[in-house]
Amino acid sequence: MLDIAFAKASLPESGALVLPLAEEDLGGALMGEWDRLLGGNLARGAAAAEFKGRKGQATTLYAPGGGLSRLVLVGLGKRDSLDPAGAEAAGGNAVAALGREALASIDARAIGGWAGAAADVALGAVLRAWRFDRYRTTEKPEDKPRLAGVKVLCDDPHAAKAEWASRRAIAEGVFLTRELVSEPANILNPPEFADRLRKLEKLGVEVEVFGQKDLEKLGFGSMLCVSQGSAQPPRMVVMRWNGTDSKKKDSQPIAFIGKGVTFDTGGISIKPAAGMEDMKWDMAGAGTVAGLMMALAGRKAKVDVVGLVGLVENMPSGTAVRPGDVVTSYSGQTIEVINTDAEGRLVLADVLSYCKKRFDPAFMVNLATLTGAIIVALGNEHAGLFSNDEGLAARIQEAGKSVGELAWRMPLGEAYDRAIKSDIADMKNVGGGRAGGSITAAQFLQRFVDGCPWAHLDIAGVAWGGKDQPTVPKGATAWGVRLLDRLVAEHHEGRAAEAPVPAGEPEAAVSGTGSESPAILAEGGAASDASIAEPVAPPAPARAARPATRRPRR
Amino acid sequence: MLKLRLTELPRGRHPVAFPALPDELLPAAYAPLAAVARFDAARGEALRLDGVLGGRTAWLIGAGPPHPLRLEVAGALAVASMTTAPEDRDSTPVRHAVIDARGLAPGAVAQLAMGAGMRGHRLPNLSTGPRRDLRRLDLLVDDAAAAAPAFARVEAVLRGVGLARDLAAEPANRLTPTTFAERLTGLRKHGIEVTVLGRDWLERGGYGGLLAVGRGSAHPPRLVVLRWRGEGAPVAFVGKGITFDTGGISIKPAKGMEAMKGDMAGAAACAGAILALALRRSPVHAVAVLAVAENATGAESYRPGDVLRTASGRTVEVVDTDAEGRLVLADALHHARGLRPRAIIDLATLTGSIVSALGHHRAGLFGNDDILRDALMAAGEAVGEPLWPMPIGAKHRRDLDSAIADLRHCLPVGGGGPGWAGKFLPDACQAAAFLGEFAGGDAPWAHLDIAGMDLREEGVESGAYPLPPGPSGFGVRLLDRLVADRFETSRAA
Repeated sequence: MLDIAFAKASLPESGALVLPLAEEDLGGALMGEWDRLLGGNLARGAAAAEFKGRKGQATTLYAPGGGLSRLVLVGLGKRDSLDPAGAEAAGGNAVAALGREALASIDARAIGGWAGAAADVALGAVLRAWRFDRYRTTEKPEDKPRLAGVKVLCDDPHAAKAEWASRRAIAEGVFLTRELVSEPANILNPPEFADRLRKLEKLGVEVEVFGQKDLEKLGFGSMLCVSQGSAQPPRMVVMRWNGTDSKKKDSQPIAFIGKGVTFDTGGISIKPAAGMEDMKWDMAGAGTVAGLMMALAGRKAKVDVVGLVGLVENMPSGTAVRPGDVVTSYSGQTIEVINTDAEGRLVLADVLSYCKKRFDPAFMVNLATLTGAIIVALGNEHAGLFSNDEGLAARIQEAGKSVGELAWRMPLGEAYDRAIKSDIADMKNVGGGRAGGSITAAQFLQRFVDGCPWAHLDIAGVAWGGKDQPTVPKGATAWGVRLLDRLVAEHHEGRAAEAPVPAGEPEAAVSGTGSESPAILAEGGAASDASIAEPVAPPAPARAARPATRRPRR
Repeated sequence: MLKLRLTELPRGRHPVAFPALPDELLPAAYAPLAAVARFDAARGEALRLDGVLGGRTAWLIGAGPPHPLRLEVAGALAVASMTTAPEDRDSTPVRHAVIDARGLAPGAVAQLAMGAGMRGHRLPNLSTGPRRDLRRLDLLVDDAAAAAPAFARVEAVLRGVGLARDLAAEPANRLTPTTFAERLTGLRKHGIEVTVLGRDWLERGGYGGLLAVGRGSAHPPRLVVLRWRGEGAPVAFVGKGITFDTGGISIKPAKGMEAMKGDMAGAAACAGAILALALRRSPVHAVAVLAVAENATGAESYRPGDVLRTASGRTVEVVDTDAEGRLVLADALHHARGLRPRAIIDLATLTGSIVSALGHHRAGLFGNDDILRDALMAAGEAVGEPLWPMPIGAKHRRDLDSAIADLRHCLPVGGGGPGWAGKFLPDACQAAAFLGEFAGGDAPWAHLDIAGMDLREEGVESGAYPLPPGPSGFGVRLLDRLVADRFETSRAA
């Protein structure tokens, strides 16, 4: 992650300066301050480049004076419409415009009107700067991105730093998800996935891993039929974060469930070759639940949450499940497998019923890259949202809007449910034909929630991005981590603003930044506050992590 | 057309159906046998009783559990039960039947009549053998005069639905753009103004979308405007009327292409709605702008890559000639805007994508106005033609950016980007984004993608109750109800 520091405004001695400006700020006081320091180059350059402050506009002035290598003007659009998402986008757009710079300062003083505006800018910057380059071994050093740290200039660095702590935890969660989703399937198989989730124990998350035998004992016939064709054994991982004071026995947690098919060939109903490489991200639902648990634990959310992921690989082989096979799910309901490529719902069926039975959660939200049909229906701007609970659905949509992860409500209904009637079993795993394919998939899942308030997010269209977005680079998006974190923050832990500041962190200066710069722009420059850097160490766990020695219950 | 009438006197020895409500006692004539047969009205099943009424065949029709449309469903079940299956050639066909609606309130009688009329409608049948379908249905009531007003309204709507179904069922060699327009001029006798705009007029007006789509056919395109003159600014219906859709140069696969004779179901529904409003003398001013053309493959056909100038002046790059509906609608929507309407609602069998999205149980609802959207949703639920709101996202519009024209009308197959997800195109949303460019923002606009709902197919469940295979007339009742609930009541607003 980029190093983030907050400081009072001062002219950096070197590196880049980013100046986000609203349309109304052109020719204003803030621009005037910098213009004076830069000998009039800013006003001349902005005019020559026709910088208007329009939303998303980014204009670079090279060597604008004062030792700066470049100055990037980032447009915020109209001041009235500026919001946290706009602040994040400005941070992201700034990073994208920094090219080969190693260090940069972003003057966030034009962005405000709410607590945490400067931290929002920082969040946008780190989210955009993330890169997955574990497997680039021959990339020349000069081709690698060099940006190591960003200093956000603002009026109250202390307050900004306090706001940053929770956002930093969210970014860590997003990065875990992006990494899991990006990993190729020969590396990230179900056992490896489970092992990586064990690392959440350091944050105070209890992690229980269920292997093949455990799942057999439990009777996960639906999930196990998917993995039976693979050489990789399945795993179910149960993650628990108990952030409230209540005794675990008394608490009714909320639950998040993810589909984790580490690779989906389609099985015997094998997929066409074109584009199949993308099926490494058929575990994005599980990856999102993992990242969410990390974000919640990282910011010590005052909530009791369970996260369950069903991890399998779907392969064709002599032992693979066949079309026509009938399997018995954990719930006891029987399923006729018509299409082995409709495997995600088979995995989720068992995990959903198990979650309901064991935890009796207040609600369950599952995420899954479930159907291509949801892309045909909605495209890749919205995920599909199915729910049996109006309030839950509305809260999810609302949370999504505020973090820029949009969900569109899709219908459920008896008429759709009838499409999965089977002649031989309680249900079949696909409806007839392609009509309403996402809806019939949701109907299938609904048969396993046992009346629990539930929402299903079909994220097949949003889990992977073909193009860079302001705060989301191309590739794994981690769609859902931020939405569900916001859902929890808004509705399940009192006030969202009460994000704890990790105590006892060492303060360190970001190397190479000119905190001693003579040109203090702010009134009454408090130089001692000027270079508060982010600690590199992870926040201390809420309580000593317990080794996951508990055996799964039957 | 099935002849439906109210009567107070049972005549003849025709089969009779008695709709039974679960919480009411059965008449003494039926009760003992019904008990023996363990008839349960709550199950929504039909029971045939022979010999209870002096040899006349009687049916008990279970109305099923409480449901807003249950009497309509019962009416449909009554007709379905009493009429012999057409494949049963040996039996004597039932051509005249009776539903015993005595004891029911006028509203309930009207609901029964609606269901019976929907189920009993006689689609065009061009076979030369004798007809075997139901010709006449009597509704036996206590007080015909009391039931008449609600019944008249149902009749008006049924005739509108019937028109839409008949038009959509007509084969494309009988229903060309020319003959479609001629049939619509026949609506003048109901007080509907009909204007047919031909090729020359369209050329003068620059209706480049409609003209391009119709150019490959031997039958030139038409823009037909129906007007029921009521008070104030009109409510405008806009309909896609492709009398046959081969796909054009981007020709469709042969399998199932015969169903493309029904690709004018949107236009037919709009015409049916205008007829219903006229027959029931609605005070509301309504117009229907119908873009009628045949999308044929021919030497004159428009091509992928062509750039068209539409009536609005916007230029459009053609990507796939099988996405022709949005091109003709672009011009029709522009024409409708010129009529200064208070709202525009277009209906089209537009995309296969909407069928993938919503299946055969709901039509897709797009638009730019929340109030109109909610009114349409409510109307759809009320008449059993449910809709579901769908998005027009900023990305859907950006997807239509063209390198050579103002916009392109769709994406090429597989054009959704690299990888697995690129194979799937949100074509319904993109089509709606395209139409939105032409609907403008001056009047509330809604777009109903009715592909998947316009046709009842063997073995495919759709709608609140089964209809015979063929066109469903989807949209007529919805538009009629929308006008009644939203525009007849809020005329002052």
